[in-house]
Amino acid sequence: MAIESLKYASPDTETKIEAKVFPRPSQYTTGLVDWLTTIDHKKIGLMYGMAALFFLLVGGIEALLIRSQLWSHNMEVLTNREYNQMFTMHGTTMVFLVIMPLSAAFFNYLMPLQIGARDVAFPRMNALSLWCFVSGGIILNLSWFFTGGSPAIGWFGYAPLTDTRFAEVLGDMGPDFWIFSLQMLGLASLLASFNFITTIINMRAPGMTMMRMPVFTWMTLIVSFLIILAFPAITIALVELMFDRTYGTNFYDFLEGGKPHLWQHLFWIFGHPEVYILILPAMGIVSEVIPVFSRKPLFGYGLVIFSGAIIGFMGFAVWSHHMFTTGMGVVATSAFSILTMLIAIPTGVKIFNWIGTMWGGRIRFDTPMLFALGFITMFMIGGFTGIMHSSVPIDAQHQDSYFVVAHFHYVLIGGALFGLFCGFYFWLPKMTGRMLNEKLGKFVFTLMFIGFNLTFFPMHYLGMIGQPRRTHSYNEGHGFETWNQIATIGSFILGIGIAIGVYQFVSAFFNKRLKPAGKNPWDARTLEWTLSSPVKEYNFARNPIIKARDQAWENNYGPKENHSQKEPLDDHGVHMPDRSWYPLLTAVGLFVMVIGMLFHASIDASGELVRNYTVAVAGGVVSTIGIIMWSLEGPAGYHLFPKEKEE
Amino acid sequence: MTKHMNLSKFPHRIVSLITGLLLSFLGSCSRIDHKQSALDPKGLVSQNQYDVFMLSVWITIFLFCAVGGCLLFVLWRYRAKSKEEAMEVPEQMHGNSKIETTLILASAIILVILAVPTLQGVVLMNRVPDPNDQATLDKLELDKSQIEDAITVNVTGKRFFWVFEYPQYGIVTANELVFPASKAVRVNLRTEDVIHSFWLPKLAGKMDLMPGQENFMWFIANEEKIRTGIDKDGNPYEVDTQTAMPSVFDGKMRQAIFAKQAFTDEFEAVGGLFYGQCAEYCGNSHAYMSFRALAQTDEDFDEWVLKFRNAQNPNLQPIPYSPENNYEIDDVITFSDEKLGEGISRDFRAVQAVTKGQSPETKPDAWEKVHSDDFVKGKALFSSLQCVQCHAINRTGLGAKGPNLTLFGLRTSLAAGWMRNDEASLDKWLRNSNDVKFGNLMWNGEGIDDRHPLRQLENDDEKVSQLVSYLLDLK
Repeated sequence: MAIESLKYASPDTETKIEAKVFPRPSQYTTGLVDWLTTIDHKKIGLMYGMAALFFLLVGGIEALLIRSQLWSHNMEVLTNREYNQMFTMHGTTMVFLVIMPLSAAFFNYLMPLQIGARDVAFPRMNALSLWCFVSGGIILNLSWFFTGGSPAIGWFGYAPLTDTRFAEVLGDMGPDFWIFSLQMLGLASLLASFNFITTIINMRAPGMTMMRMPVFTWMTLIVSFLIILAFPAITIALVELMFDRTYGTNFYDFLEGGKPHLWQHLFWIFGHPEVYILILPAMGIVSEVIPVFSRKPLFGYGLVIFSGAIIGFMGFAVWSHHMFTTGMGVVATSAFSILTMLIAIPTGVKIFNWIGTMWGGRIRFDTPMLFALGFITMFMIGGFTGIMHSSVPIDAQHQDSYFVVAHFHYVLIGGALFGLFCGFYFWLPKMTGRMLNEKLGKFVFTLMFIGFNLTFFPMHYLGMIGQPRRTHSYNEGHGFETWNQIATIGSFILGIGIAIGVYQFVSAFFNKRLKPAGKNPWDARTLEWTLSSPVKEYNFARNPIIKARDQAWENNYGPKENHSQKEPLDDHGVHMPDRSWYPLLTAVGLFVMVIGMLFHASIDASGELVRNYTVAVAGGVVSTIGIIMWSLEGPAGYHLFPKEKEE
Repeated sequence: MTKHMNLSKFPHRIVSLITGLLLSFLGSCSRIDHKQSALDPKGLVSQNQYDVFMLSVWITIFLFCAVGGCLLFVLWRYRAKSKEEAMEVPEQMHGNSKIETTLILASAIILVILAVPTLQGVVLMNRVPDPNDQATLDKLELDKSQIEDAITVNVTGKRFFWVFEYPQYGIVTANELVFPASKAVRVNLRTEDVIHSFWLPKLAGKMDLMPGQENFMWFIANEEKIRTGIDKDGNPYEVDTQTAMPSVFDGKMRQAIFAKQAFTDEFEAVGGLFYGQCAEYCGNSHAYMSFRALAQTDEDFDEWVLKFRNAQNPNLQPIPYSPENNYEIDDVITFSDEKLGEGISRDFRAVQAVTKGQSPETKPDAWEKVHSDDFVKGKALFSSLQCVQCHAINRTGLGAKGPNLTLFGLRTSLAAGWMRNDEASLDKWLRNSNDVKFGNLMWNGEGIDDRHPLRQLENDDEKVSQLVSYLLDLK
């Protein structure tokens, strides 16, 4: 491909390169080392995605165990503690290790392609984000093997149940693992978000004005802002909780004057924007897919983006609707109730606009479109039950019942996961260069759609007839059995559907019999579809000059003046940075530090508490060295001179 | 041959299984009055919550049909009918601000329709109506006295049971909230450990019990709704007050519940029995933390209060026999009965006037034993097995670690509403409560390990039966 490749050395930095002590792995690195040291946003995106799909299966197995336990009254598939661990791990895994990283995978892979950039602004930071996410996932799941097993505190970890005072297993370490893994995952999300914001603000191709950006990139930007504003709240909450548990402070210990309410406020100030962090990327994906399969531009582009921003902004003003039953009084509950209802308006706007997009189009029902339509209908149901919960008197019955379980699974599976699967079916041809099997895709959709509705629709009714959430068992005589059995059958159908889907995604990378995709198999609209599939490591051979929104479509069907152009050729080529070990080293250091903190306390022979920070400090030193070396290793890199048609 | 038979029977079995499933399915989904159903409100507050809910249901069904119908129309009308059509380029329309503005305004108006009753509902849930505000009372169809004579219950949540204190009467009970059906009930909610949530679906929705904070909710039952319902066969019925709300104080409620249905029956024949549940995750045994509320007529409630007050009145407890006193008929004293064991004393009731010095020992004819031998032995065990350290009987014992067991024999349920309070269940519970309710603090609490006498009961038939007869005779 590259007609020439040479070591990067601009005239005035030549000497610096020779002074380098530890060379960066070069252009020709392959195999495992390549994956471990890569700073290519596409490879990082793929690793994000693959790890998240793995955790999707883990969380799915936890869900199926939960459903098996609820098959009938007084079942004994799991003990109650095991059940409580399952729902804690299922919730934490699905939110932090599946939906968020899957969104991050798409952000990573696609956003630079959509704005015409060679990579994100800080490629090594991007790699650090990935490795922090991976170690956060490992830390969370390591908890299974230590005292007390994994946490049994719910994904929301309400104080004071998390206090050591109320531990039901002596020396329970589960909540500590939970705290530290969430901190690591928060770090991963923050690093990625700063990176995406900088990239989108600074690295758009010439002519790619903000109002020409694809909706998915817009949602990336909004979600990144939500993350950097929401995560500090939970970071503080978790630090305080860690101090409570480890050093006996009393932020949340009410017997010492602490305030359990404080945890709920901090958690939901994070937790509600988190809901939009989970759903907005899926909305972005669907806003890309529907125009393509209707062959029309997005109806009300500006309004869709504006309503996304409004949803994000208002997401910070409604957190207390998770706390209607905690006794906040008439004024606060009324205010949060009305604000929550208002958020339905921008959400409704999006649905109107998707339908408006299809109006007058030529609609094709390929797999991505089916998932997008599934998304709209399922999300609509979840949104409607959400409006119900916004009303305090209704919430007084729904809160912590299965009705709520039904609601947020409609939003998070019917919404977010269907949206992300839609994204996979839509963009995997771009990532792998191969078309997925349509028939298998439609089969997966059918299984998922039927299984999902069988599982979660009955839960509305179960909640109304009084089944409470987070109970490992129920008594005979409440009439819960029949509907729970239907839900359990449905959950296995859904599980099989998801498993086949994941298999299909992973095998697309290896299955050579699949049809080649070509540049633009869907006749899609946005900039990434002007590139070859799979995308070359340098993305664009020459910087594109953007003339219109939906640039790929305009190049094919638009007037001449809307066709994109290329920046003039120069002898500089495409500068590619070398790979780096230091993001991985820094993350490993952080991982060791966390492990050191988790196991720093022990009881010696005389019964005294001994604190030993050696391992934690060592980990801290390693990660500091990682950061220092990272700063010193210099730019390095090489130039590629691809030809236009090799783009 | 066998094989052949099995094969021929197999599809038949599947058919009957499917038919059975379908029938039970239809049977149960046509009903909405399950034990904990919020769709079967029996009180003012829950009725309001139900009404707002149904309003929201109709609104959303309308919206779903409108938007969903529109979506279906678009999908059908604009589907690409052929490969050629799929490659056509339709008009590239970017939006229509008039349509968008109209839709935004329309959705805002629909939200107002829901917002108004929501705000009214918030006020109703949080504030008992002012008894002097006749207009509001008329609107709610309440009588002034129903509010003025409201009773107050202080609910304390503990892992994993409920304490019900009646401050107006100075009595404390656990896990079964007895209340007058005609009066408003003010509920103050507190917790001594983690967060719990008091959920009484048919009467009042739920409210959390927050550590370090006192929360409030209230409810008032609707007597007429308690008297009506739908029987097991699906026919509507209306019964009189006594049948719907048998009296608790003389054990009629317990008998009626035990006689009318199995514990596992889905549909309730006793209208005055309400099911409640802890709705906030509180630990291992969260699922088992349920409770019951028993509605009573005013007279029966007063009788129950009186009986309870007397039982918990320290001045009315039998005092030891004194040879210096004269006793009248029906006076109750305690006197030692060495036949049952060393240091054991029991209650005796005078059957005739007793003069000084005529103790049950010297003049047995003048006295009768109040309780059976097993009861007395059980009572002694209750002390010697250290049960008294956590359970109060015949005293209020606020702050005790375990549920108050005063008049335990009148309770309809055991283990915080998880089982029927009969001999078989109590027997099972005493032998190994961890088997029944894993994680409960009677078995796992502070200071209890394998050496604790409670954990030695598993195979001790005699002690268990004595404890059972003691506890169930407390009535």
